[in-house]
Amino acid sequence: MLKVDQLSVKRGPKIALDRISLSLEAGKTLAVVGESGAGKSTLIKAILGLVRLHSGEISWMDESVKTYKPALVMQEPRNAFNPTLSLRRSILEPIRAQALSVPEERLASLCEALELPLALLERRPTQVSIGQAQRASIVRALIAAPPLILFDEPLSALDSVNQKRTAKLIADLQQEEGFAALIVTHDLGYALAYSNAIAVLRAGQLEESALPDAFVKNPKTPYGQALRDAAIALGSIEACL
Amino acid sequence: MTLSVSGLSEVRSGQIILYPTSLELNTRDRVGLVGISGSGKSTLGHALIDDLRAQGYLVSHVPQSPNEALDPLRSMAFHWREAERGLGLNPGAADRDALFDALHIQGADMAGRPWSWSRGMQQRFVIAMALIGKSDLLILDEPTSALDPIVAAATMDILDEYLATKEMACLLITHDLGLAACHVDTLMVMDCGRIVERGPTQQILNYAITPAAQALASHRSWIHA
Repeated sequence: MLKVDQLSVKRGPKIALDRISLSLEAGKTLAVVGESGAGKSTLIKAILGLVRLHSGEISWMDESVKTYKPALVMQEPRNAFNPTLSLRRSILEPIRAQALSVPEERLASLCEALELPLALLERRPTQVSIGQAQRASIVRALIAAPPLILFDEPLSALDSVNQKRTAKLIADLQQEEGFAALIVTHDLGYALAYSNAIAVLRAGQLEESALPDAFVKNPKTPYGQALRDAAIALGSIEACL
Repeated sequence: MTLSVSGLSEVRSGQIILYPTSLELNTRDRVGLVGISGSGKSTLGHALIDDLRAQGYLVSHVPQSPNEALDPLRSMAFHWREAERGLGLNPGAADRDALFDALHIQGADMAGRPWSWSRGMQQRFVIAMALIGKSDLLILDEPTSALDPIVAAATMDILDEYLATKEMACLLITHDLGLAACHVDTLMVMDCGRIVERGPTQQILNYAITPAAQALASHRSWIHA
């Protein structure tokens, strides 16, 4: 289980995260929603151990942040790969880093699950579509079978049809592989459709945490309500008329 | 007034990215041009702008990225003045304060360059520039892509309110049929460089015929509340 306990992070004099507590069980999905500047990306960096914690603790299965290795899926797939390497080489980077043997079978089955023809892996990230590059970055995140994967706005570079298809592919793979997923997104509809719990961040603070069904019907805070209403007005959530 | 174009097409690197396309837009039409990435929506938008401007019409354009509209070396005040000049308005003739208030960018540094503003604020500034003057057509290409949801919803409301008072046609280009469905009366669905289906919004939402329109309609929202 991922446990974030009373986490505070400072960026310069500013408090980017203010006493945040969250938990995520193995195999489950937690969606963290909020607007720009809410601290979503800082939270991801903190979990990855890339920023200094001002106070609080983060642990995975009671181990400290330094010993476990969560994988990351980034927002812009084209920026997430080394442009000079083939996708195959980039995907196998986590395997090399951990000095494991190359799992050809696993690679093939992951590519099949993500509807990615194997031949595409010989191409560079700029020689495939954005949707294909993003699915390749999901293969890379999964290749070493990490127990926790962080998704930082994984769908925002994709068009609306591709977004829904990719979300479904991620969810199907999660069923099979059993990884825990922490999804950071500004798209409330996505968060509600594919998570077991949601946490609303606002200006570095945890505004509200809820179960998706309860949140969509009745957000507890005015800000939660504003987010829900905006998602309806933008068609991300379809209100039955 | 009817804006009409015919036979718009485009070839890039020997590949046809827009097949000959004709369309008509009437004053006060609210039309959504929808399709997945790479279907040719923005290409058609640009071709439409060039053709209509060549015919002497005034077309306002909010491009997908504010980078396309703003010169990084020029101040925001310069851009505003340039927009006024382009529309033949005297300095200060456009009601900047009201627009900036409505779009929540009042008080930002007009002497600053675009990069000293956040992307969301740049996008709203470009929308404000597109709303001054009396254009015949307003083309909005993914106008909310750089905006946070609450601001995006409020901005779409402001656009709707503004358009309700104007004799102007509006074309909303987006990959998001859910968004388009909330704001336009008519839809044109693009696929592989062609408009493959046109019709009233409700008809396409409920009775899409082509596979492209069906995919967009069935993937338009995440959940039903």
